Amino acid sequence: MELAYYPGCSLHASSELYDIQNKLVFRELGMELRDIDDWNCCGASSAGKTNDFLAVALPARNLGIVDASGLSDLVIPCSACYSRMLVSQKRLIDDPELKSRINAELAKKVEGRIKILSILEALVPKAHSGEIAEKTKIKLSGLKPACYYGCLLTRFPSDVAVPDDVENPQGMEVVCRALGAEPIEWSYKTDCCGASAVVNDADTSLTLMSKIMKDALARGANCFVATCPMCQMNLDAYQDKAGETFGIKEKLPVYFITELLGVAIGVSPKQMQVDRHFIDAMGLLKELKLI
Amino acid sequence: MQSEVCKFETATSQPFLQEVMERSGQNLLACYQCRRCAAGCPVGDMTGVTPDRLIRMVLLGERDAAINNLLVWQCVACYTCGTRCPNSIQTARITETLKHMSKESLVEPLTPKVAFFHDAFSKSVSHFGRLSELEFMGLYEMKNTASEIKRGRWKAILDEIMNQTKLGLSMIKKRRLHFGSEKIRGLSEVKSLYRKAKGRGI
Repeated sequence: MELAYYPGCSLHASSELYDIQNKLVFRELGMELRDIDDWNCCGASSAGKTNDFLAVALPARNLGIVDASGLSDLVIPCSACYSRMLVSQKRLIDDPELKSRINAELAKKVEGRIKILSILEALVPKAHSGEIAEKTKIKLSGLKPACYYGCLLTRFPSDVAVPDDVENPQGMEVVCRALGAEPIEWSYKTDCCGASAVVNDADTSLTLMSKIMKDALARGANCFVATCPMCQMNLDAYQDKAGETFGIKEKLPVYFITELLGVAIGVSPKQMQVDRHFIDAMGLLKELKLI
Repeated sequence: MQSEVCKFETATSQPFLQEVMERSGQNLLACYQCRRCAAGCPVGDMTGVTPDRLIRMVLLGERDAAINNLLVWQCVACYTCGTRCPNSIQTARITETLKHMSKESLVEPLTPKVAFFHDAFSKSVSHFGRLSELEFMGLYEMKNTASEIKRGRWKAILDEIMNQTKLGLSMIKKRRLHFGSEKIRGLSEVKSLYRKAKGRGI
């Protein structure tokens, strides 16, 4: 099965390892991810904060490219990109006048009929069907992830269909359980970690992150698992600083969902570049004898 | 916050309210001040102003107060307020709109770093069609440093250099810093979208 795939800017830069993992793991599960041709930045949260037209128009160009590709399903790993594309497509459908204004500038006209999937929406059916459990060679026993969804997987600035429970989503837990891991129950899975503020408003961001860390630790998690590269980067690269500021001594590795999937179905950690985390991510896997 | 006697005049209040409602696409008249938004706002205790207060300011036509408060600039756009609002008012769309209006009326942002950050991001995307992380951070730091120098905040500059150097070094160590940039073939399309966007909302 071939799926259109929008990696987004961060997966071609600081979170390149996530891009590599997605390609490897999806292939093992019988899904080929095809990069959409000549994609551009979706505008992320900055477009919304600087210009309303660009916030719709930048994603629209990508949607037009997928429309022309003949593929019907588009997988987007980054929550910010995912949210922007969903919201843009909704806007284009609701506002034909805006759509034609944008289309006037595009080589590949956007129609707005693509099915946009988060990485979880692509994986959860494979967990429900038993395929993931079947492919699991190494049960992730002893791994107690705090499944972290962040803001943009379930909350949207406009009225789009939400793929999971808004306040207590379960998709990541479903996948983790299929792998034999024991995800914890906790209260901060959809709280904001402040990723977009960590550079420009560190006090706010670190305060938010400290609450997330404290709850995960108090509930007995031994790692985080995330799907969004923005959240992952923030929790991984700034956990030290948040811990230092708020007196939290323990550190938790922050895995991508595909990374855990890969370990369980037998993709080598070296190929998946698990050693590129800021908080050591290899140690816990070795300690639990999973690699 | 110091309280003042509210001077409400329909004639002066209405145009501001109408503009915010149109540009944000939110029906602020539906707000009945239940404060569910305030209860869920993750930055409300830091900003003092919560989404319900902001909506009230706009309803009363308090333009300056609505544009110049910490919530407008420190809102993390987590969309919790709007998701929980019984009347589906998405306040994060209002804080976005007020940022645009602040920029258009050349009011200096209460937290300039936030504005520099998003402007730098947007600028970098206009150069290549994709974000160059290094150029983005460079543009941001240049703007930020210039502003700090103007205000004589030397310690802030030093702290920023220390923090960013530390992050940069650990990124290099983990091979997560990319020096290149990816220019797309369809850059002219992106540039024409930017031209169309100039100076206007939707």
